[in-house]
Amino acid sequence: MPGINVLAGITIALLLLSTCSALYEDQIRKFDWRSVHVGALKQSRVDLNHFQPRLLVSTHEDVVALLCPKTGAIMWRQVLEQKPRGDIKLLQVSGFSVDSSETAAAPIGTNLGFDMLTVQGHAPALVRGWNTNIGTIEWEWSIMPLNSEKAQDAVWFYSNSILYHIVPAWRSHLEVTAYFASSGHSTGSTSKIMASWITKETCTLSGTFYVCVDGKQLISLDLVSKSTQVIRTALETEPQGTIEAVEGLNGVVIVDGKLVSVNKDQAVCDALQGASYAVGSFNYRKIVVSAGLTSGNLKISVVYLDNCAPVPELQQTLQFPEHFGTPTLNSFDCKLKRNGDGKSCMFVFSTSAESIVAVQQGKVRWSREESLANVIDSQFMDLPLADTEGTLESEMKGKAVDSTSFDRDIASAFLRRISTQAVQIRSLFLHVIGLGPPPTDTQRAGLVRDSFGLHKMLVLLTRNGKIFGIDNISGKHHWQLYLPKVNSFDNAEQMRLIVQRTAKHFPLQPLCAIVAKNSVNGNGVLYRFNPITGLATEGGLLQLDFKIKQLSLLAETEKDFVKGILILDASNKVHVYPQHATPLANGMYLYTADVKSAQLEGYFVKYAGGQLSCTHIWNARLGGHNSEQQIIAVAGKNPIEHVHSQGRVLGDRSVLYKYINPNLVAFVTQAPDATHKSVLNLYLVDVVSGSVIFSMTHRKVRAPLSIVHSENWLAYSYFNEKVRRTEITTIELYEGKAQANSSVWSSLQAPPMPLVERQSYIIPAIVEALRETITERGITNKHVLIGTASGSIIEMPWHLLDPRRPIASTTQGREEGAIPYIPELPLPTESHINYNQTVARLRNIYTAPSGLESTCLVVATGLDLFVTRVAPSKTFDLLKEDFDYILISIVLVALTSGSLIVKHLASRKLLKQAWK
Amino acid sequence: MSAKQNSKKFKWALDFNGSKNAEIPSPLGYNPSALVNQTEVVRDQRLVIKKSWDLALGPLKNIPMNLFIMYMSGNSISIFPIMMVGMMLVRPIKAMFTTQVTSKMAEGAQGTGQRIVYFLGNLANVALALYKCHSMGLLPTHASDWLAFVQPQTRLEYYGGGISFV
Repeated sequence: MPGINVLAGITIALLLLSTCSALYEDQIRKFDWRSVHVGALKQSRVDLNHFQPRLLVSTHEDVVALLCPKTGAIMWRQVLEQKPRGDIKLLQVSGFSVDSSETAAAPIGTNLGFDMLTVQGHAPALVRGWNTNIGTIEWEWSIMPLNSEKAQDAVWFYSNSILYHIVPAWRSHLEVTAYFASSGHSTGSTSKIMASWITKETCTLSGTFYVCVDGKQLISLDLVSKSTQVIRTALETEPQGTIEAVEGLNGVVIVDGKLVSVNKDQAVCDALQGASYAVGSFNYRKIVVSAGLTSGNLKISVVYLDNCAPVPELQQTLQFPEHFGTPTLNSFDCKLKRNGDGKSCMFVFSTSAESIVAVQQGKVRWSREESLANVIDSQFMDLPLADTEGTLESEMKGKAVDSTSFDRDIASAFLRRISTQAVQIRSLFLHVIGLGPPPTDTQRAGLVRDSFGLHKMLVLLTRNGKIFGIDNISGKHHWQLYLPKVNSFDNAEQMRLIVQRTAKHFPLQPLCAIVAKNSVNGNGVLYRFNPITGLATEGGLLQLDFKIKQLSLLAETEKDFVKGILILDASNKVHVYPQHATPLANGMYLYTADVKSAQLEGYFVKYAGGQLSCTHIWNARLGGHNSEQQIIAVAGKNPIEHVHSQGRVLGDRSVLYKYINPNLVAFVTQAPDATHKSVLNLYLVDVVSGSVIFSMTHRKVRAPLSIVHSENWLAYSYFNEKVRRTEITTIELYEGKAQANSSVWSSLQAPPMPLVERQSYIIPAIVEALRETITERGITNKHVLIGTASGSIIEMPWHLLDPRRPIASTTQGREEGAIPYIPELPLPTESHINYNQTVARLRNIYTAPSGLESTCLVVATGLDLFVTRVAPSKTFDLLKEDFDYILISIVLVALTSGSLIVKHLASRKLLKQAWK
Repeated sequence: MSAKQNSKKFKWALDFNGSKNAEIPSPLGYNPSALVNQTEVVRDQRLVIKKSWDLALGPLKNIPMNLFIMYMSGNSISIFPIMMVGMMLVRPIKAMFTTQVTSKMAEGAQGTGQRIVYFLGNLANVALALYKCHSMGLLPTHASDWLAFVQPQTRLEYYGGGISFV
């Protein structure tokens, strides 16, 4: 028995050897790049007077990082726990206290003082002291609140080396507990302050003051003072928005763009008006900086806090690029050494487009695009052709507009070819002598299609509506777009990035569209743009006057090769954009899935008499007998997928035909169960006819679930509660030894039910994302890319996940090329395609075909972005990188010349012999 | 040495000064001793027929030998069995195409019969080689051999949709 195991082990090792496609050391970063992000800025501290100038940030992605103030590069970054546990409530840097106690009062000789302190989460609340030079945690303490629900809204502040924990009980009271910041010892008992006016929406904490709006007045409490006296401050008008605290000013809040002080010891300048404020010091005097955006210009105005006199050295106005969105001044600092000129002041802004922008001397010094930490959709776009190739292309195809009337007789085609080549030679000549036409912008930027189609424009859509055009080779940001006031849809459905026209239709430009929800009225928004230049086309932003329920891309293109977008609105009417493509929507099928009730609805779209109509044709309830099941995942196939091989060759050389139903969609539902804790159901539904092709139940199994559906197979990962491990189940569908209809597939003609093969595997990692590789023609093997929680991407060959792996090592299985079944999936380090370039908080993986059949482009998104390419069957259509051109050509030349010489010698010898 | 040179000289020299009534010399390179003795041919006719039957039966005689080689080379696909099978296949086919030439050498009373036997023998060899190919799996006789040419089914219906956005 052990002998068999050893044998099996050796077989697998050999098979793995054949599949391993690991990088060589010198290939590191050759095909891939990673960009590292921190997320949208929450709190920041610029410190230019530290021996090492630094910018400490905490972000909404629960990251603490130190940025270089000169370049914005990350010096160190700590990705903390996920929300809610890692939610950063407070970032306190020593030397930046509200009051004048500049340092943490740590006993001399201990290491309990802190450089930086963070408070995270609520149950438990973690207080951590950091060494900011190297980014390590020095100490940590935590408290577990008695009532963790109430503690969710808890706020913290630091004053005089004491950390205060305030738990509000809305409309009732505040519970204030004080702790020694560096030890976690409570200074006394929790004090309860009765405050019946507090509500979640109206209150904020400003320094040591808890300030609430109550009609036309502010009611505030000084939480540090011994006597809990209620301070009432009258306002001129009732505040429109919420009030915000100004960091660095104790008891000062921003009410409708104006500063209001509730602290009698803190005077403020009433005349100031700005969107955001920050306080700091300049020339050893305290200053207040206000910043606001007016008609595309960012205006920074500065006054001295003590006498409200403006500081002319620091006043500045600068053009603020539109794609950053609305800026909010987060923090600033001035160098003390260079007094007077104000040139060394740096202002750090966070913007509504989640950028971090550093402004110095009236210029944007650097910016970081932190919205890339939340990529929700991605597309690889082909680049435009170079001019010369473009003319060739148009010659081959004829102009797109008059392709039907294109004269196809030989003589004219020949003349055309000659004339194009003449033009090409002329342009080449002009180019050589330097008189040619200037290259277009995209060409100057190097955005020209390469011969293998590996160089593409990576279009990334982010959660807050910012769109990026990134070079997939160099990682350069070619363009950015920001769509303000758009939102993702309900039911956690993200906005969509849709390719309406690819770059294949030269000279027509590619066209992409974004479908989103208007954040104000909830109606649909359509934005169309050119993905190469990032400029709006076809009218750009289009506000729809209905709510979108579902959408789809039409199957056929209209005369300009644009695929229309079919939109089903909330009242089950259908619309097509662009409108002239409406007739093409005839015969489309649509389905919608309701997450909560797990109910599916199928529709048929018909075009008759100039009108589109939508008929409800089927219904399916996946909710179970007591309607407890909820849909947790839906997986269809990639619409651009090609299946090259229609079957699988068995050991006896017969064919098992694949069941390739293009209309098959997998639905996964989950519900709590009395006996099994949690039950997971998988349904394979033909969404055209509405028939359930296959269903399967897993007991004692729960989310997180990742699923991938391609060709005739399906793989999904889940957490098995019974044995507490992550497992992957794979399913393959086969039609059988004969195809029922080898020419067409129609879901309505009752195709035969498939044979189902299934198998489960154990994976020793937590799976965050699954994705299949995809290539142009589908000839290359399919691998499954597994993104794990630790941030690595594993390339898993399908024959390891194959459900036909035989349990007993039979001859048939061996002849079929299947490896004997072993439940554990190996994760060799060679198959980690991102080697040590870990993708923090990996969320999704997107794949796209390249121009080479062997190669598939990959982008992994999460907090970081990782772009690479994989070749599942190795680069069979490409010469190896280390291919020795010189040796080959030398050998060739030597052989040819050698044979010529030998031929000559031989003929001479023959002649000599003949004369003998 | 000089004699040899002389003989060489005479071989390639024509003497136009000879007497006119002398017999016309033979053409260059003509060797009267090469003439076949007609009577000898007639005498050896039986021998020729026997010889040509040998020739016609040659392919058939080869079959046991080929069978043995086939058995020895096995069914694995590697360079030597492939080469053997290739030779076994190509040789009889070549021989069949050159039947006319071969049979010309042995034209006689039983020529047609010999030709048929020769042809059938080669055919048997070809069949043997094909059987070998088949048992080695080199013949595209299974459905799986044509799998790469199976076209994907064209789909009639297109769908769109997903989780409801409202």
